[in-house]
Amino acid sequence: MARGLGYYIAVRALMIIPTILVLYTIVFILLRMLPGDPILAVAGTKNIPPEQYEELRRLAGLDKHPVVQYFDYLWGMLHGDFGVTLATPRGTPVSRYIWQRFPATLELTIFSFAISVLLGLATGTVAALRRGGMVDAGMRVYSIVAYTLFIPWFGMILQYIFGLQLAWLPTSGRLDPGLTVDRVTGLYVLDSLITRNWDVLKSALAHLVLPSITLGIVLSGAYTRLVRNNMVDVLGQDFIRAYQARGVRGWKVAWYALKNAFIPVVTLMGLQFAILLGGAVLTETTFSWPGMGTFIVDRIEYRDYTSIQGAVVFFALFVGLISLIVDIVYALLDPRVKY
Amino acid sequence: MSATQKTLPIIAVLLIIIVGAAAFYVGRSMAPAKVETTTETTTVTTTVTTTVTKTGPAPTETTTTTTTTTTTPAPQFTTEQIVIGVTDKVTDLDPAMAYDFFTWEILNNVMEGLVKYEPGTLNIVPALAKSWEVSEDGTVWTFHLRTDLKFADGTPCTAQDVVRSINRVMQINGDPAWLVTSFVDHVEAPDDYTVVFYLKQPTAFFLALLATPPYFPVHPAYNPTEVDSDQTAGGVGPYKIVSFTRDEEIVLEANPYYYGEMPRTKRIIVKFYRDATSLRIALETGEIDIAWRTLRPTDIEYFKGKAGFNVIEVPGTFIRYICFNTAMDPVSNKLVRQALAAAINRQEIIDVVLLGAGEPLYSMVPKGLWSHIDAFKDKYGDANLDLARQLLQQAGYSETNKLQITLWYTPTHYGDTEADIAQLLKEQWEATGMIEVTIQSAEWSTYVAQLREGQYMVYLLGWYPDYLDPDDYLTPFLHSEANSWSGTNYANPQVDQLLTQAQSITDQAQRAQIYEQVQQILAEDVPYIPIFQGKLYIVARSDVAGIVPSPTMLFFYSTLYKTG
Repeated sequence: MARGLGYYIAVRALMIIPTILVLYTIVFILLRMLPGDPILAVAGTKNIPPEQYEELRRLAGLDKHPVVQYFDYLWGMLHGDFGVTLATPRGTPVSRYIWQRFPATLELTIFSFAISVLLGLATGTVAALRRGGMVDAGMRVYSIVAYTLFIPWFGMILQYIFGLQLAWLPTSGRLDPGLTVDRVTGLYVLDSLITRNWDVLKSALAHLVLPSITLGIVLSGAYTRLVRNNMVDVLGQDFIRAYQARGVRGWKVAWYALKNAFIPVVTLMGLQFAILLGGAVLTETTFSWPGMGTFIVDRIEYRDYTSIQGAVVFFALFVGLISLIVDIVYALLDPRVKY
Repeated sequence: MSATQKTLPIIAVLLIIIVGAAAFYVGRSMAPAKVETTTETTTVTTTVTTTVTKTGPAPTETTTTTTTTTTTPAPQFTTEQIVIGVTDKVTDLDPAMAYDFFTWEILNNVMEGLVKYEPGTLNIVPALAKSWEVSEDGTVWTFHLRTDLKFADGTPCTAQDVVRSINRVMQINGDPAWLVTSFVDHVEAPDDYTVVFYLKQPTAFFLALLATPPYFPVHPAYNPTEVDSDQTAGGVGPYKIVSFTRDEEIVLEANPYYYGEMPRTKRIIVKFYRDATSLRIALETGEIDIAWRTLRPTDIEYFKGKAGFNVIEVPGTFIRYICFNTAMDPVSNKLVRQALAAAINRQEIIDVVLLGAGEPLYSMVPKGLWSHIDAFKDKYGDANLDLARQLLQQAGYSETNKLQITLWYTPTHYGDTEADIAQLLKEQWEATGMIEVTIQSAEWSTYVAQLREGQYMVYLLGWYPDYLDPDDYLTPFLHSEANSWSGTNYANPQVDQLLTQAQSITDQAQRAQIYEQVQQILAEDVPYIPIFQGKLYIVARSDVAGIVPSPTMLFFYSTLYKTG
């Protein structure tokens, strides 16, 4: 408690900067190491005259020395400028794409996150309460299977069952063809609620079910293990025995135990959030979800350096902020944490 | 571990229950948005009327009001809406920059040039121009425009718009600009309805060039000096763009001011999918009415046998071929290249890998285009192992001293059948007993960059035409001043001279003669081996009618409608 919460937050926030710098540098170098460039990737086998090719490279700033490119872009980012796209459509501000694509990823992330936490808590608690039995073993298997599931494969199975065979749910995109909603936040569920557009709300929720369940289940595995182990620990502690001795029984005990087992789970949430965004890349690709993940994948194909750099840095910034918030929440939850 | 086996079914059931429950709450009510459509219709008609009243005051537009009110009433359309799914992308809506086949298709539906291809044929017919003349020497082309041309918002389109748009393409100098700048010196509009092109040299295939998007007049709303990638104002075409959400969908609606026949379907939505699997599922679930480019050969087979779907074949001008870096040993030896050309079995590739979705090709000029000859078939036959062995022996190879080559392919750009094509080619070549093939692959951006630099020995590529003329299948490949992109290092002064000569001759029979000669030299020199001509398929739900497959491989949406 020596320096107070404000100082703690400031230090944690400052630590985001080197993280992002390192990440930007790695991405920058990796991209330049790949053969090919954005102009050729678009031209493909088409016959672009050499003079025009040079001109296009010059316009894209690719004729400059990589070191100059590195610092130019860094300087731009410091001013909140993520540059313009280098491949088709050329010259569009990258920030416009982030603005358009990020809410899609955020929406998917929020739903998957909620599903993974709820599933993890439920399965972990049940396993801890039935420790050593069949259910416990089952949940342990669930956690391993869920954790190792390959998203595209699992997603496709769900698409096949619920999209094709039962025809209950749509399998790709965010809305039915032709539906639109006025943008307020870019999160379709929220926007449709705000504008009271119930058709869009229904369609948006329906489109969210399969992708967020796919990602949610895959991420819930880690929670199952953690919650179970913590619960087992907590259930063995004296204060639980004291409850039981006073006649408190069953789910009530579980509830008290869960509250205490929850703290390490919060830490995991911060970490999982980063993984969640990574998983979003695979989930988005499987479900044609027009988010940041698919954007980055497309842009890598085009060698669109600035778009990838911009998107990755923005991603990192966002994850950094989330983990900062989680740490603060953690500090507030657990009085033993020293700032 | 026995617990594992017992619990797996439990988990499976659990998963299904969870997803099922969620689906039950939200999914059930997921009926296709029919109600939505009808409400939309009324709003759209009102917007049209408002535009008419807005433009009302000017005397010229008063006539517009009467014509549009006769064309706008909804009952005219046979069908309200058709949804088409594709795995392609719209890259850039600006014809000054767009340079990929699918974006050109969208542009062809929302814009037109002075001339166009008649849907279903390779015939060039009048479009915005009703007639034209060519000067004696073939360098001055004069076009007479229709007088009733209007953009999708009612703004008249005149000769000045044509000139402005073409100058804009030349000034922006984007990817496809060479289609204009290599041929056109300048363009003028002596009056509102006359456009005169002054060409750099006589160009026999100028009409085919004119039918490409860089020559399409665009609405004045396009940024005059810069690329306008998301501009939806369009040009003079049967459809207009209502909305474009990148990588999600593009919504088109009949252009009420279109001079020609009204489209039969009022609204066309094109949805973009990431892969063939999601496209196939979308068609099966009824999310889309038509699956267009590109399903897998196995999916096509599946839909052919399924009730409720029609599979329509689109004959292709798309060609696939093998390239040789003629400067790299051992394929720098012509005998080696000839031997490889003799050994391949085209029909087997088509039957085994493509499940019939192609036609054997024996020249770079595709079948169906004038001047095509089966040059390779006449010279080498098909799967001619004896000839191949004989040629290899001449080149100094034998069963003990095998020819070593490396074959490159790119795994996704031409669909996921590519690895199988490479594998089959390897088997066919190795069947001679005198060749050993190593297969390698590289992802598209790497592939293009490295092959241009001449790093590959033998490699697979494909070609979609820019304009439909034999010139576009020969000059970019064989003319030493135009084929630097190909990494083949092929140069033959005689071919250069013939190709340049053919460009400026206006008599088609005379040109055909030259192109036949060039194709024979191609079969002799073998810098490329043509393999097959691609076919595409449109798979539609059985209530969709009016699909006109075009040999241009462009899909025109205006004839589509639904039955019942």
